Amino acid sequence: MLINNGFNEDKIQSPLRYIWSIFKGKSIAVVAMWLMIILITTSILSPWFMPHSPLTQDPESMLLPPYWAKGGNINHILGTDDLGRDTLSRLFQGLQFTLGGALTITFFVAFLGMVIGAGAALTKGVKASVLHHLLDALLAIPSLLSALILITIFGPSYTNCLIAIGLSLLPQFIRASYIVIEQELSKQYIVALQLDGATKTRLFRYGILPNILEPTITILNRLFTMSIIEIATLGFLGFGAQLPQTELGSLIANSMELIYLSPWLVTFPGLAIFLVIVIVNIFAEGLRHAVIEGEE
Amino acid sequence: MLSFLIRRLNLLLITALILTIIAFMIDRTVTISHATTTLDQRNYIAQYFSYLWQIINGNFGYSSIDQQGLLKRGLVFFASTLELCFVALLFSSLMAIPLGLLAGLFRNTKLDYMIMTIAIIGLALPVFWVGVMAILLPSIGGDILPVDGNLSLVYDIPVVTGFLLIDTLLVTEQYGFFAFIDRVAHLILPALVLSFFLIAEIVRLTRHSMTMVMRSNYIQTAYAKGFSRTKIVFTHALKNALPPIIPQLRLQLSTILSFAMTVEIVFNLNGIGKWLFISLKSGDYLVLPAGMLIITGFILIFSIATEIVMVLISPLRRGSLYVDK
Repeated sequence: MLINNGFNEDKIQSPLRYIWSIFKGKSIAVVAMWLMIILITTSILSPWFMPHSPLTQDPESMLLPPYWAKGGNINHILGTDDLGRDTLSRLFQGLQFTLGGALTITFFVAFLGMVIGAGAALTKGVKASVLHHLLDALLAIPSLLSALILITIFGPSYTNCLIAIGLSLLPQFIRASYIVIEQELSKQYIVALQLDGATKTRLFRYGILPNILEPTITILNRLFTMSIIEIATLGFLGFGAQLPQTELGSLIANSMELIYLSPWLVTFPGLAIFLVIVIVNIFAEGLRHAVIEGEE
Repeated sequence: MLSFLIRRLNLLLITALILTIIAFMIDRTVTISHATTTLDQRNYIAQYFSYLWQIINGNFGYSSIDQQGLLKRGLVFFASTLELCFVALLFSSLMAIPLGLLAGLFRNTKLDYMIMTIAIIGLALPVFWVGVMAILLPSIGGDILPVDGNLSLVYDIPVVTGFLLIDTLLVTEQYGFFAFIDRVAHLILPALVLSFFLIAEIVRLTRHSMTMVMRSNYIQTAYAKGFSRTKIVFTHALKNALPPIIPQLRLQLSTILSFAMTVEIVFNLNGIGKWLFISLKSGDYLVLPAGMLIITGFILIFSIATEIVMVLISPLRRGSLYVDK
């Protein structure tokens, strides 16, 4: 065989690679992706390049405004709080707790929820109906209330707050993934796979999983958004991270009494939460559009 | 119809039983770990049935702070929460449904992107932070909008329904309409803050449902018949696009309630969220099972009611009436 077709060979891209090539064309989503990577790396690496320690108090410079406002100091770019602690460093530490906690919750809840949801959708009979009723009951409890209940039982701490939020978001995720898989099960290619004699795991891995990419991204995005908001809410109410841990919600709560004196202290943590959620939402939305276009 | 009702009520009963078991578990855990009362020596099953009997009789226990019945107080507080949710829902539906319909009609245009940006911003703003920021606003613009409490303390309103908007109207011979106006002024800011999230949610749901309807075959047929776009949208599409939003929104009810509870704590409104928060902070743990039963009971009854209403108004759902025939 001396035919050299090295220059005009047909390359068939794998679906994931095709989706990735569409995603690369969406500039806003790519920017959001890079911002997300930067956020995660800065929050992990922040202890090494923070300008000040988040707990160092400085009686010389208390309640400084950001450096662009009148009376600001370039050493404290975003100003200081009532004990002279640097706001930027505290924001970095808060980001570490909030973003890290939200990523952990998203990972564990997604894994557990997918397993339980798939188990409920693929099996029939008693197991599925018991799960159905239990989920109905658990879904009726607002997530803030169930987090309050779990924290009352286990005591307030950052870890317990994460466990409580994870457990309160789990029923919603199980229900959502259950509905998605259930819809997929009625499609004809799944029936064809079943007639081939595929086992449940094979059915899930090759029949269902590649086709539920788009709804899964939506659910994951929602899960992440809700977990950030709930971590911040519980921190704000004083049930989350305890002092001296700083978390974005508890940062807001700690500077509530200074709101008329120095509104910056309340503004910046809120803006940080807002930016994190917006960036992740834009990234997820871009990815979702790429998947839809790739499937068509 | 009767068999459908029985089937739904059957589900309601099972779910309610599971919830009482959860409430019982919380009650026992809290009682044992904090030793608020003398411990019961019987086995747990006997204890559960006596607990269930108490709940059926409307005895949810007594607050360990002021010795008042928890059910009665909880219901009064919950009515105030519901009032807040209802006003916020009304306001955000007025804002969000037209926006969502526009976004769905002009999909993938500049208008659509603009509306969806508003929706993402509304979802991304943490509710309690918006509340804190909103507290700053009236301090700038004068004291037209009060930021804490349900009502000015000068008014003494007897509790009749628990819904203060109605109760203030019942005392008009004493205060005129001033009490009512005062209540409305107290509600405006919290309801606005709560509706940030709701607007985002309703815009997304309406846009999705409108897009789905506009793609369906009967709309294509209507176009082929030569109807104008306005006529198709108003007579064919709207009727089919709006009802599916209701069950979707019902699924979000528990999220809405948990946001409402946060807003109450920020604005110092006497709702169920603040009641639970204050009681837990001061060590009255028995409010937890009572509060949980009140909130979940409302959510269950409300979801059954929406399902029945949906069957009555939407032909698509009426199929479940005739499943067993």
